[in-house]
Amino acid sequence: MALIELTEVTKRYRVGEQEIAALDGVNLSIEAGEYAAIIGPSGSGKSTLMHLLGCLDTPTSGRLMIDGIDASRAGGDRLSELRNAKIGFVFQSFNLLPKFNVLQNVELPMIYAGLRAADRKSRALAAIERVGLSNRVKNTPLQLSGGQMQRVAIARALVNDPRIIFADEPTGNLDSTTGESILALFQELSAQGRTIVLVTHDQEIAARTPRRIEMRDGKIVADVRTAAAAESRNPNIEIRNESE
Amino acid sequence: MKLWLSLLMGLKEIGAHKFRSILTMLGIILGVASLLTTFALTAGIAHGMRDFMTQIGGIEKIEITKQDPPEEQSGFADISPGSTVADAEIIQRRSPLVNYVSPVSSLSNAALTRGSQTYRATVYGCWPDFYYINKHELEVGRRLSQLDLDEARHVCLIGQSVVRSLWPGRKSADVLGQSMLINGRPFTVVGVFKLYERASEKARRAQGIVRPGGGNLSAGRSKNYDPFFGKNASVQTPITTMFYDYKSANVVGKVDQGPNYKLDQLIFQLSDAARFHEAVEQTRALLNVTHRGIEDFAFVTREEWFDSMERSIRSTRISGGLIACISLIVGGIGITNIMLASVTERIREIGVRRAIGAKGRDIFLQIIVESSVIGLGGGVLGLGGAFGLLRLLAKITEGENTPLVEPGAILISVGFAIFIGIVSGFYPALKASRLDPIEALRYG
Ligand SMILES: Nc1ncnc2c1ncn2[C@@H]1O[C@H](COP(=O)(O)OP(=O)(O)O)[C@@H](O)[C@H]1O
Ligand SMILES: [Mg+2]
Repeated sequence: MALIELTEVTKRYRVGEQEIAALDGVNLSIEAGEYAAIIGPSGSGKSTLMHLLGCLDTPTSGRLMIDGIDASRAGGDRLSELRNAKIGFVFQSFNLLPKFNVLQNVELPMIYAGLRAADRKSRALAAIERVGLSNRVKNTPLQLSGGQMQRVAIARALVNDPRIIFADEPTGNLDSTTGESILALFQELSAQGRTIVLVTHDQEIAARTPRRIEMRDGKIVADVRTAAAAESRNPNIEIRNESE
Repeated sequence: MKLWLSLLMGLKEIGAHKFRSILTMLGIILGVASLLTTFALTAGIAHGMRDFMTQIGGIEKIEITKQDPPEEQSGFADISPGSTVADAEIIQRRSPLVNYVSPVSSLSNAALTRGSQTYRATVYGCWPDFYYINKHELEVGRRLSQLDLDEARHVCLIGQSVVRSLWPGRKSADVLGQSMLINGRPFTVVGVFKLYERASEKARRAQGIVRPGGGNLSAGRSKNYDPFFGKNASVQTPITTMFYDYKSANVVGKVDQGPNYKLDQLIFQLSDAARFHEAVEQTRALLNVTHRGIEDFAFVTREEWFDSMERSIRSTRISGGLIACISLIVGGIGITNIMLASVTERIREIGVRRAIGAKGRDIFLQIIVESSVIGLGGGVLGLGGAFGLLRLLAKITEGENTPLVEPGAILISVGFAIFIGIVSGFYPALKASRLDPIEALRYG
């Protein structure tokens, strides 16, 4: 079974009288170790899809299995546990806590996991070293550059050893060279076997990931694996070109 | 463990906004300060009053006096011998709830004379127990004894007012063994009581302040009422001496009615104030025997008086406490207000925490701990304020009413401050815990 499996997932929002289908019958599966980009124009449903995949929300209908657990029917506390144990998030705007230093920010997920102080510290230091910021442990986010902040965020996403990392426009607030280095870091992590899903509107970035999932109007309109990636993967590629 | 971490986070958050936090605490600080001050002041007053009450015999002192028998008994009331020493004897022998008992036959406005000095006071003919019931204390000499009583000796115990009037400038020890006249008959002083005074007088005297009019020992009831006036002017002598020397003749309308060995009063002390009513009923039953069922005696107890004092202290405490509570509630509203602002300020942070795995209740705990810490901080600062205020008040209030800080009052005040902190944080915490993670992440 795949790490993530969506079957006929829809997400509808009511705005006054109108009902908007942010996701409309999405089928998708992501295997462990994949590195995929979700791409599409603004309003196509990328963020909504990522929120569902990241267990921040539940679908209106359909089924969502994550690591063998049915997240579409889980309650709020269960979703929190899933996020804490199996998922790491990296955001466009870093979302570090400004009053905490680098170490404390990276320790935060382990506090909610209930780890002891000594374990928290050693694991946080290891994660910080992994992203190359060992010399900035005591700095607060405001004393760091954008690229460094995003590295801290990645360390925080890694620290609980999640099954999958979601990144929503992780380079959106960075200049191109810094963005490059962050992408390189993702590349490395992927090479070490991490499952990573990025959301981007940048075709160039999407072109570099082994898998490209393209969305429009709440539907997946293309799901392409590059030759290099495809051979070891499930060839069940869905291509739906629907024009209404 | 989570709680401990939440506490650290709360402290950090409060530390990051020191000035704002202190402002927020202000209502709680004032509330706790005034609550504790109220408690301490009323406890001081209560303590002072109880001290004073004990000095004058306490609630355990009961007095039996004469009264006119009821209408329906007036036709045959003369079958009662009235109050006699037999009443005291039966109570002494038959009432296990009574510690001390003394019959009293007194000589009011007696002339106490030594040389050219005269002082007028009431002389009490009594048993040795009188000393204990009225909580006297000797400065020098001895108490009355059974032998004094049996032999109807001409001995007496006197208070400081008598010493100062008849032996001006002399020490109590010098007076011992000296004689004085009571209505012309010589008596030997065998004991002198210490000076009875209120704590405030004592303090004033220690500071060398002498009040105009002579303070405690002023001759009459001057504008400063002295509750110990009577006690200091006390003269005690065996009741037998009193009977033989002063009560053997009872001239009414130029006709001698013979000896009047009736008591003016009968006093006794209970061994256990908690069994007050039981003791009164038991004594009443005994006296019904000696008085042949005629109700020509009445109990004078201090129960009601004490009760009304306790009541007034309690109502002072309640009204003071109420004012303090209003301040605390206003302080609580201030905390709610600031916590709501703080939650709004930190919506993004809450979203991040939710995204990395915080449950709703973790967020709830974080906010409520923070508001409790503000409450606790206000409580502790309020304690400090209260101690400062009380130090000031202690200088002003009378000695016997010195504010008294009881540990229970501290516990209640600070506990209430924490409680207010928790209650005030409840709504903001609920609001924060119910934020939708996605919307919170998108906020701002
Ligand atoms: N909370 C919401 N309430 C109402 N409509 C929403 C909500 N979230 C998303 N939508 C709508 O769902 C659609 C998909 O949005 P989104 O997933 O944010 O797209 P993208 O991230 O691709 O720009 C949009 O039309 C958006 O307006
Ligand atoms: Mg988006």
